Amino acid sequence: MKLRLTSAIFAGRSAAKLSRTCGYDGSSLPGMLARVFYPPALKELAAQVRRDIIVVSGTNGKTTTANMIAGVLLEAGFKVISNREGANMISGITTSFIMSSVISGKIDCDYAVIEADEASIPDVLNNLSPRVVVLTNFFRDQLDRYWEMEKVIGVIRDSLRGQNQATLVLNADDPLVAQFQDTTGLHSHFFGLAGNENTSKVNTQTREAKFCPFCGSALVYDYFHYGQLGAYSCPDCGFKRPSPQVEAIPLGMADGLSSFRLTCQGETVPRGIMEIQTQGLHNLYNALAAFTASKLVGIDVQTILSSLKKYRPAIGRAEKFKYGNKQAYLNLVKNPAGFNQGLRTLCEARGTKDVFIALNDNFADSRDVSWIWDVDFEMLGADHKHLKHFLCSGLRGEDMALRLKYAGVPAEKIAVNKDMRRAIKAALGGKAGATYIFATYTALRPVHKIVKSLVEKRDANDQGMSSVS
Amino acid sequence: MIRACHLYPDLLNLYGDRGNVMAFQKRCQWRNIPIQIINKSLGDTMDFSNYDFVFLGGGSDREQKLIAADLMKRRDQFEKAVENGLVVLAICGGYQLLGRYYATGDGRHIPGLAILDLYTRAGSARLVGNAVIEMKQAGAPVKVVGFENHSGHTFLGGVKPLGKVLYGKGNNGRDGLEGARYKNVFCSYLHGPLLPKNAGFTDTLIRLSLRRRGIDQDLKPLDDIFEERARTALLGRLGLKAN
Repeated sequence: MKLRLTSAIFAGRSAAKLSRTCGYDGSSLPGMLARVFYPPALKELAAQVRRDIIVVSGTNGKTTTANMIAGVLLEAGFKVISNREGANMISGITTSFIMSSVISGKIDCDYAVIEADEASIPDVLNNLSPRVVVLTNFFRDQLDRYWEMEKVIGVIRDSLRGQNQATLVLNADDPLVAQFQDTTGLHSHFFGLAGNENTSKVNTQTREAKFCPFCGSALVYDYFHYGQLGAYSCPDCGFKRPSPQVEAIPLGMADGLSSFRLTCQGETVPRGIMEIQTQGLHNLYNALAAFTASKLVGIDVQTILSSLKKYRPAIGRAEKFKYGNKQAYLNLVKNPAGFNQGLRTLCEARGTKDVFIALNDNFADSRDVSWIWDVDFEMLGADHKHLKHFLCSGLRGEDMALRLKYAGVPAEKIAVNKDMRRAIKAALGGKAGATYIFATYTALRPVHKIVKSLVEKRDANDQGMSSVS
Repeated sequence: MIRACHLYPDLLNLYGDRGNVMAFQKRCQWRNIPIQIINKSLGDTMDFSNYDFVFLGGGSDREQKLIAADLMKRRDQFEKAVENGLVVLAICGGYQLLGRYYATGDGRHIPGLAILDLYTRAGSARLVGNAVIEMKQAGAPVKVVGFENHSGHTFLGGVKPLGKVLYGKGNNGRDGLEGARYKNVFCSYLHGPLLPKNAGFTDTLIRLSLRRRGIDQDLKPLDDIFEERARTALLGRLGLKAN
């Protein structure tokens, strides 16, 4: 048996080497091969994790949340296995374990923090038997692949039943997530954001979950944060936002840090000020999820807070660049909720802006580009004075341009350029004070590469200029 | 004044279908044609004789059921308005709902509004992907583009198809037909959404809606470069000529 695990690891590793030589990033092939050679490979490797396995799933914020948790555990001095973004299906996850093992089939780690694609959850749970499962939120995402969200939720719910070793970490503000405590019967910890002066009584965004998941009556809201996230209750069966074990109260933003006061079980946490470097409510939720999960596995509060404060966004997660003396932000956009958050951050920032959007329609992006009509680009059209130019690119750049036109952006501000490098160069070199760059999943890496190379080139030029003067 | 009714915008909002209403509204406004968008949802009073254009989209299973029950109560006045020339665009779930029934996998028949003579059967294969159909607009064949995503397979009785399939699966993946047309009712499985990229079709609906108001006029041409570019880019990718 040991021999077979060894040969599976060997096959996987050879494949990784080979596929990297051929220029692929080698994230799923090794795992796929290992599973063919020896199906229990993942299960046996995972069983060697000394402490706990934490699985993170949901629509938005998986990568950020998983990276934050892994950061906390590393800061606490543990050895951690985690999977790279984009490798969040069963083969990619297997690859991560294989690459962390030695050829004899041994792995040396305390924790595994695994981001899992929603559709892969049944397989992942079966193989990993995690101690903690974090669910971030549920929004419509790639419906041509996942069909309706309710079906996805049903699949996850069914596969969680029977995972009695698991504790759930759930977003109290999302009724679609909060329902999991009752529908699975598993022990649950909730995190949430308290109502504050920025919350609104009404919601104009396209939102999910208008109905109580238990009795079907229309949910009523005291307030909304965004999408269906807020303080909801069902007038008929009594289902309502659970009071969260970990709750944040926003304190404001200064020097690029957003800070929050934390309460646990309704009591103020001593020295419990959480500071994070990223903008936007969605990142706060990610940090809260990471805080709750880390605390659950026994990490002390100050270690968690210190690590979260140091957290730098991953590629395309509100990633900051400096182009000359101009600020540029790169955002991955996968679905209407995430895109709306990105646009809202753009609208709230001061000064003039140029905008670049790359819209692809490959399998991982959603082959159906209809979803951009559920994004509220109207907020750009309503106040486009500060928005100088919109450059649209990607396989469906024309669709993006059309969407902006119908959102009320004047046609003369919109251009389509399928040459991605030129389009990004134009957006970075525009007259506005800042550039906002948005890319769908498969456009992210090429866009990131181009932005980086343009930024470096610009820096080199600037240095060249100054040495002359 | 065109009165356009968006049915259940809060519930039937899958796949960006609200873009159809946005396109209809904008293309009226750009021509200074007064238009009022009337949003109607569960339990609201509806007066179909008073509307010129009705849009009905698709939703997930649960929403679809709620809507079917709500619309059933107004079935007769809806049908009467259709017979009198009400312009309707129904997409996906809305399309199925206008038919006689939906036959589920286990053989049950869920009744529809039976305003159009067609029925839908649950299919084993989900029909998903880019789609192109050819339909007649002002007597000339025009290629209309979109994205289909449905597991129901629809079969037409005494109604005409909206167009024939040039690319994709269409109503059922078998007979080469897509959508349905009866009087001024247009049904389709195409998302995309359908109207923004197919401006000629949108204008057909606007023209018919004006006619229902008793106004027979030529529409002022608009600059459709963005619309045409989005439509022809997809046609080009699928290896089809842009008409």
